[in-house]
Amino acid sequence: MIRLIFYWTAILFLQFIVFNHLGFTAYLAPQVFIVLLITLPLHISKPYQVLLGFFLGLIADFFVGTPGIHASACMWLVMIRFGLLGAQDLKEQIANHLPFNVHSVGLSTFAVTTAILVLFYHFYVFWLESIGAINWLFILLTTLVSALFTLTVIGIVQLLSDKSSGEF
Amino acid sequence: MQRLIAFIEHNIHIMLFVILQMMCAVLLFFLNPYQQASFTHSAAVFTDKSNQLSSTVTGYFDLQQQNNILQAQVANQFKNDARSSLSFMNDTITLRDTSRHKLFDVIPAEVIYNTVYKASNIFIINKGIKNGIQKNMGVISSQGLAGIVLQSNENYSSVMSLLHINMNVIPTINNLEYYTGLKWDNANPQTLKITGLNKLEEIKVGDKVYTGKSSLLFPAGILIGEISKLETSHSSQYFTTHVKTATNFRNLEYVYVIVNKDIDQLSTLLPAND
Repeated sequence: MIRLIFYWTAILFLQFIVFNHLGFTAYLAPQVFIVLLITLPLHISKPYQVLLGFFLGLIADFFVGTPGIHASACMWLVMIRFGLLGAQDLKEQIANHLPFNVHSVGLSTFAVTTAILVLFYHFYVFWLESIGAINWLFILLTTLVSALFTLTVIGIVQLLSDKSSGEF
Repeated sequence: MQRLIAFIEHNIHIMLFVILQMMCAVLLFFLNPYQQASFTHSAAVFTDKSNQLSSTVTGYFDLQQQNNILQAQVANQFKNDARSSLSFMNDTITLRDTSRHKLFDVIPAEVIYNTVYKASNIFIINKGIKNGIQKNMGVISSQGLAGIVLQSNENYSSVMSLLHINMNVIPTINNLEYYTGLKWDNANPQTLKITGLNKLEEIKVGDKVYTGKSSLLFPAGILIGEISKLETSHSSQYFTTHVKTATNFRNLEYVYVIVNKDIDQLSTLLPAND
C-alpha cells in the first residue's frame, strides 16, 4: 500500500512539477501521469476505474487550468482500456489481482496497448485544448512528440519497477 | 425486472461515464475561454440552422393565413393609393386633409376556376354579392389588370378575363389615351393586340400600357402590360401593336375586385349611350 502511494505520488509529482514545465518546445507536453490509469490493477471494478479516471483527470486539470479536458480524456482512456483489455486473455492476472504492466502481461501486449492509449490520450487532449483555433498539423506533431516522450518515460518506469508489483 | 437490474448493474460504468462526460463538457465549455467562444459560436450556428429548418417546415402550415394577410395588406394599399382617390377643388383652404375622397374600394378574392385556352376565357372568384361584388366591377391582380365581373351570385362571381374576345380596354401609353381598343385575338394567352395605332405615334417596344380615365371601372394608371412588338406593313399606315399582359393568367391565384363607390352618381352624369 505504501509502495502504491509512493508510486502515485512520485508519478504525479513528476508530472505536475517537472513534465508540465519542460518548456523545450511547444510541441512537447507529455502526459506521463496516465501510466497510473494504464497500469491500474485488473481486478478493480469498472465503475471505480471510471470514477478514478475522472478524479485523477480533475486533479491534472487543476494543475494546468483546463477544467474538464483531462477529466474527459482520462475517462475515455479508461473506457478504451476496457475494450483493449477485454480483447485479451487476462483471467489469470485478474484472479491474482495483478496490475497491468510489462511483467504481468508481457512486453508486446503491454507495449501495443500502452502505445494506443498514450497516442489517443495526447491526441484527444491537444484536440480539446485547441477547440476554437484548431491547427491539425500542430495537434499531430505535438501528439507524436509528446506521446513518444511519454512512452519513453513509461518504458523507463517499467524497467525500474519491481518485478513482482510493477511499481517502484 | 431482474433482467433490467442486471442490465443496469452490468452497464453502470457506461452510465457513470456518460454522466461524468457531460459534467466534463459543462466544465470544458463554460470555464475555458477558447472552448466557450467556440461552443457559443457553434451553438449560434446550430440555433440558426435549426431555426431555418423549423421555419421552412412550419412555414407551410400557415401559408393560407399568410396569403390572407398579404391580400389584405395589398388591398389596403390600393385603397390608400392616390390613384383610387379623386381630388376635389376647394375654394377655401382647409388644414385638415379631407380633400381626398376615396373613390375606389378593394375586395381581395381567390381564383378558384380559370381558363386561358378558350376564345372566351373567364375565371371564377370566391367572393360574391354577399361580399359586395356586383356585375361590371373591375378586377386586377397584384401584377396588373385582370378583367371585369360578368355576374355574381351569393358567394361567387365570374370574371371576364382580359383573354376574352369581347373584352375591350382603352389603353393609355405614355400618358396618352388611344381610343382604338386593346383586344385579345384568341392566339397567345399572354399577348393582347392594339390595332389602328398610327405609325406616326411616338410609341416603341417596351412602353408600358396602363388604364386610362375613360373608364369608371378601374382607377387610371393600372398596368395592363408592355409593348412587346410593333408590327408594320407597307400597305398600312397603322401598327399592329402586341402587348404582353402584366398579369400572368396561367397562374392567376389572387385578385382584387375594384369597387367604384360612386358609380351610380357618376353614371347619371354620362350620356345614355356611353
